[in-house]
Amino acid sequence: MSLLEIKNAKLKLDDKDILKGLSLSVNSGEVHAIMGPNGSGKSTLSYMLAGRDGYDLESGEVFLEGQSLSDMEADERARSGLFLAFQYPVELPGVGGMSFLREAVNTRRKFLGEEELDHLAFVKEARKVASKMFVKDEMLKRAVNVGFSGGEKKRFEILQMAMLKPKVSILDETDSGLDVDALKIVSDGVNAQRNDENAIVVITHYQRLLDYIVPDFVHILSDGNIIKSGGPELALEVEKNGYAGLINAA
Amino acid sequence: MLHNVRDNYIISVKDHVSKFEEKSFRKLASNDFKSWPSPREEAWRLSRLGVLSRKEITPITPNFKKPISFVSKLNGSKIIRFVDGAFREDLSSKLPPGLSLNILGEEDSLRCFHKFKNSNLKDHPSTNASFSCTPSILKLTIEKDIKIKDLFEIIYEGGDDESSVHPALYIELKDNSSITIIERFNHLSSLIMPLQLVELKKNASINSLKIFNDNQQSYNLSANCTFLSEKSNYNSFSLIKGGLFTRSETHAYLKGEDCNLNLNGVYLSSKNQHHDLTTAIYHDVPNCTSKQIVRGVLGGKSTGVFQGKVRVAPDAQKTDGQQMSRAILLSENAIANAKPELEIYADDVICAHGATVGEIEDDQLFYLKSRGIPEKKAKKILITAFLRDIINESVEESIKNFVFEEAELALSDIISTEI
Ligand SMILES: Nc1ncnc2c1ncn2[C@@H]1O[C@H](COP(=O)(O)OP(=O)(O)O)[C@@H](O)[C@H]1O
Ligand SMILES: [Mg+2]
Repeated sequence: MSLLEIKNAKLKLDDKDILKGLSLSVNSGEVHAIMGPNGSGKSTLSYMLAGRDGYDLESGEVFLEGQSLSDMEADERARSGLFLAFQYPVELPGVGGMSFLREAVNTRRKFLGEEELDHLAFVKEARKVASKMFVKDEMLKRAVNVGFSGGEKKRFEILQMAMLKPKVSILDETDSGLDVDALKIVSDGVNAQRNDENAIVVITHYQRLLDYIVPDFVHILSDGNIIKSGGPELALEVEKNGYAGLINAA
Repeated sequence: MLHNVRDNYIISVKDHVSKFEEKSFRKLASNDFKSWPSPREEAWRLSRLGVLSRKEITPITPNFKKPISFVSKLNGSKIIRFVDGAFREDLSSKLPPGLSLNILGEEDSLRCFHKFKNSNLKDHPSTNASFSCTPSILKLTIEKDIKIKDLFEIIYEGGDDESSVHPALYIELKDNSSITIIERFNHLSSLIMPLQLVELKKNASINSLKIFNDNQQSYNLSANCTFLSEKSNYNSFSLIKGGLFTRSETHAYLKGEDCNLNLNGVYLSSKNQHHDLTTAIYHDVPNCTSKQIVRGVLGGKSTGVFQGKVRVAPDAQKTDGQQMSRAILLSENAIANAKPELEIYADDVICAHGATVGEIEDDQLFYLKSRGIPEKKAKKILITAFLRDIINESVEESIKNFVFEEAELALSDIISTEI
C-alpha cells in the first residue's frame, strides 16, 4: 500500500484553477522529487497536503497510509505523520525554540501512544539531534525563526523533521537560499532519515539539490499537473534543456 | 448638554475644599473643576466619562486605621503604601540612605500644581479633582549619584464603592541617580484619580512599572506628567487589567538632549471592560529617542484604546521616535481603537509608526498546527508569546517573570472564555 496517494486533485485559489487533476503515488522507502518552474503550483500542492485553510480540494482525494485526509485538519494530519518543511518558515516572536519543539514532539508521541518526554530527557534528545544538524544550542533558546538566517531556518525545519519522525515528509524548496555548505548539511540531515518505513517528497525548482538527495523518481509539474515522470535522469534533462523544452513536448 | 447638568460629584469636590483659603492650591484646583470632559473633545472621544456625572460619589476622608493585608510577591522589596489615597508611613518600609519621603507643604504643593497646570494635563479631570482632594502630596527624592538596587513597590489600595480616592506622588531623581519602581493599583473605590509628577535630572534613570488592577466596578483616571533632563532615561511599562474603566495617561516632556524614553504597555480586557492607554510625547530638543510598543488582547464586549501623540518641535532635529501598536481581538464583540497622532515640525528626524488590530496571524497558526499542535493550544501559545515578547523587550530582567505572571493571570481568564 502506498504511504501517500494523491488522486486527481483539483484546487482553485481565488477562482483560478491551480491544481488541475494531479495524481501521485508514493510508497514507503521512496524519495520522489517534484520539479517545476515558478508558479507551477508546487507550494500550493504542499499546502493542500498539509491542510492549510483555504487550500481544500475542489475534487479528488488524498490518502495517508490509506486514510483519507479530506476531513482532517492540519494538526491532525501532522500528528498522523505528515510533515511539511516550509519554503518560507514562519517567525514566531516570543515562542522559544525549545518549548515549541517539546510541545510538537510530545503531541506526536502522545498520538503514537508513546510516553511524553520530561524536560530533561527532551533537552538531551533535542541537543543530540541539533548537533547533527549543526544547530547551536543558542539557536534553540531564541524565538522560533526570529532573526534566523535563511540557512538557519532551513536547518531548523529539518531538525523538526528529525525529531517528529514523520511517515511522509514534504520538503518545499528546502534548497532555496542555501549556499553549498548549508545545502550539504541539510541534505545529510534528510538522507539520515531515509528508511524503509517512510517516504520523502522533495519539491524543488533546481536540479542541484538532487545531487545530494538522490531521488528514486522525478516528476515534472507544470501548470498544475504532472506532465512527465521518470528516474533521476529526468532531472538532468531539466538542468540541460530547461523546463521549456519538456513543457512544449508534453 | 453636560455643562448645565447639576453634577453631584463636582459639587461634592467643592464642599470638600470649602474650609481652605481662596489662594490655596486646593481651592484653585477646585475652581477649575467645572465639568467632565465632553465626548466632543478629541482626547475623550473614544473614552467617555458621561456616566460619572450621574454617580453618587464623594471624595473619601482617609481612614488612617484601616487594616490592610497586602502580601508582596517580590522578595525583599521595599514597600510604600497608600491607603484611601493617603500615604501610610506606619505601613511602609524604612528607607535606605539617599532616599527620602516628604509630605509637601502648601508652597511646594502649589508649585507642583502649577507644573501640571503648565502642561497639557491642565484640563485632565484628575488634575483638578485630585489637587483639590488629595490628603497630601508625597514627594520621593532620590539624591544625587544614588543608585537604588532594591526594588520599590508602591501599593495603592483602600477606598469604598461610594467614594473617590486621590493619591498624589511627586518623584524627583537628582543627577546620576537611578531606581526601579513598581506601582500597583488595587483599589476598591468607584473613582480613582492618581496624580504623578516625575522629574528626571541630568543622567538620572528610572524603570517604572505600573500594574492597574483595581476592582471590576471602578474607574481609574491616572495622570502622569514627566519631565526629562539631559541624558536621562525613563523606561515605563503599564499593565492594565483591572477596573471597569481604566485610562492611564502619560505626558512626557523631553527637555534635555540625549534623553531616552520608552512608554510601553499592555492591556488585557474582558467582559465589559474599557482600557485606555493615552500618551503624549513632546520632543522639544534635538537628539532624543522615544519608543512605544503597545499591545492589547481583548475578549468579551471589551474595548481598548491607544492614543499616542508625538510632537517634534522645529528645533528637535535628529529625533528618533518609534510607535507600534497591535491589538488581538478574540471576540467578535470586542473593539480596539488605535489613534497615532504625529506632529512633526523638524525635518531631520526618524519617526515611524504602525498600528494593527486583528486576529491571530493565520500563517503563525498554520505553522503550529502543521507541527501537530491542536488549534486551541496553538492559539494559547501565540497569545502568550505576543505578551512575552513585549515584556521581554520592555521590562527589566529582575522583574520580567513577575510581570509575566501578573499578565498571565488576566490572560488565562480571557483565554478560558474565548478559546
Ligand atoms: N492565495 C492565492 N490566490 C490566488 N492565486 C494564488 C494564491 N497563491 C498562489 N497563487 C497562484 O497559484 C500559482 C501557483 O503558485 P505556487 O503554488 O506558489 O507556485 P510555486 O510554488 O510552484 O512557485 C501561481 O500562479 C500563483 O500566482
Ligand atoms: Mg513555492
